[in-house]
Amino acid sequence: METITHREDGMRFQQKTTLLLFALGVMGVLGAATPLRAEQIQGADAVVAGVPSPKSDDIAAKGDPGAEQTGTINDVTVADSKKGLTLADVANQAGQNKIAINFVWTLVTGFLVMFMQAGFALVETGLIRAKNANHTMMMNFMVYGLGLFAYWVCGFAIQMGGAAPIANLGGTFPLNHEHVVNLFGKPWGLFGTKGFFLHGATYDVGVMVLFLFQMVFMDTAATIVTGGCAERWKYSAFCVSSIFIGALTYPLFGNWAWGGGWLSQLGANFGLGHGYCDFAGSGVVHAVGGLTAMAVAMQLGPRIGKYNRDGSPNVIPGHDLAFVLTGCFILAFGWFGFNPGSTLGASGNGCLRIGSIAVNTMLAGCTGSLSALLYMWMRYGKPDASMAGNGLLAGLVAITAPSGFVNTLSACIIGWVAGILVCLGVEFFDRVAKVDDPVGAISVHGVNGLWGVLSVGLFADGRSNYGGSWNGVNGNVTGLFYGDAGQLVAQLIGIATLVGVIFTLSFVFNWLVDVVVGQRVSAKVELAGLDIPEMGALCYPDFQLKASDYGAASSGGVPVAASAKY
Amino acid sequence: MKLVGVLCVLAGWVVAVAGLFLSSAHAVRLLIACAGIGISLYGSLGILNGYFLERAIWKR
Repeated sequence: METITHREDGMRFQQKTTLLLFALGVMGVLGAATPLRAEQIQGADAVVAGVPSPKSDDIAAKGDPGAEQTGTINDVTVADSKKGLTLADVANQAGQNKIAINFVWTLVTGFLVMFMQAGFALVETGLIRAKNANHTMMMNFMVYGLGLFAYWVCGFAIQMGGAAPIANLGGTFPLNHEHVVNLFGKPWGLFGTKGFFLHGATYDVGVMVLFLFQMVFMDTAATIVTGGCAERWKYSAFCVSSIFIGALTYPLFGNWAWGGGWLSQLGANFGLGHGYCDFAGSGVVHAVGGLTAMAVAMQLGPRIGKYNRDGSPNVIPGHDLAFVLTGCFILAFGWFGFNPGSTLGASGNGCLRIGSIAVNTMLAGCTGSLSALLYMWMRYGKPDASMAGNGLLAGLVAITAPSGFVNTLSACIIGWVAGILVCLGVEFFDRVAKVDDPVGAISVHGVNGLWGVLSVGLFADGRSNYGGSWNGVNGNVTGLFYGDAGQLVAQLIGIATLVGVIFTLSFVFNWLVDVVVGQRVSAKVELAGLDIPEMGALCYPDFQLKASDYGAASSGGVPVAASAKY
Repeated sequence: MKLVGVLCVLAGWVVAVAGLFLSSAHAVRLLIACAGIGISLYGSLGILNGYFLERAIWKR
């Protein structure tokens, strides 16, 4: 590397261009799959000199309104001031800039996902009766703290303790141990073992970023359950159940899918495409939450007044549609963190697909709400507001797994199908299975979570692999419609695991909770509303509650427009 | 009955995973996986939910 020398003012533009091209080249090298060490770069200690730099006195006097003198060679950190700026300094700065971009991206998108808790709280509270509003709000509020604590203690370690290296976050090298058993001649990664309490070597900047992002995902799964079990769930039982999902149920499946566990290795070990692929968590987050909601809701039984003696359902309308639709908008906004953020970066390894992922997210939500609206309008004669909201969420849930692997047309189809599925799902659980789900959580998150997982195996277009190999298999993720039937099988094994193992875990644990703590409040408490007996305060103390609010009126989750047909 | 339901749900997963060892053909694995999912769904929505529906609150 030759030294860049200062000559004339007229040469400055050329020099700047040369340096810029050089720096971009270095960044390109650093962005490659195998990072280079400083000593591997030829002439790393060559001095970079003579590049014009702005005078601080000029900036102090005139400012820099055009942003031409801010962020220059002056801002590159020099390791040895005696030697001056070297090529190694420039390379280190470029590398740190890449990781910094990815850190900031992952953190900010994680903050967006955290804000989704507010959306869930509004949607769920809006869909239940006013007499239970404090109780439902407080479940959504405290699931954040309970889940976070459990995840910090052991959940994160179980899920991501063997996930290294994650190149976009600088390696996360301390997360380097997965417990693997050999069964029938194949390695089966079961759970991670590094990162309990985030102590020791996992006190690491990259690990912290990963923890924050994964933690808010876990909390999303945990908060889904509160909606399906609203209006009759004992608060103490909810607390225990939420700790369990944060400590074990979610992390276990998260490890199998994202932490290097056996599902992710189905491609490498059994030749099934790229193994189980779930880009942002239709299965890991939503199906886990939805199936857990189903397990608990079945055990709780329906609310008093939901079904008549002949088994026909009644509609229990929510108390605030404005809450519901505002909450849906907040969730849709947060989803731009959920899906694009799952690249864990914006620089390198194909991360520039974040734009495509965001557009897919947007489109699927749109077509989901549209198809649900049309379905309800055609079937019941009215454009139902709550189901339009649920259709939006269903589309977003369904596109979560395939968002990184499909094109826009497929995203529209996936969302459209999701909107219909959520309507059919609500009707099925309400009329046939008779599992009372006040907010439609099982249909939105469970049914469409599974649909999202399946749709990867159908619609992945083979145009993306995020850095060369997804789950350790070279090439691009490709679904059945684009030529790889093996990927579909991998997705089906994932679904079988969700329905067979995760549901069972949730069911058995909550069965134990029922035996020890008791899951359901008494009939007296349920009729009075859970706010005073369970929480000690009304959400709306100035409201005059109508007599019908205390009696066996009707049933919920089901669209209001549908009630006329029951 | 609850235990039977739980075992049936788990059995569905075992069937789906066993399919990976029984054949290397994608079509066969796909069919076995679907059968496994079906067994699990029957265990959860059929047996387990059926158990709770028999004792449903509106029937008391």
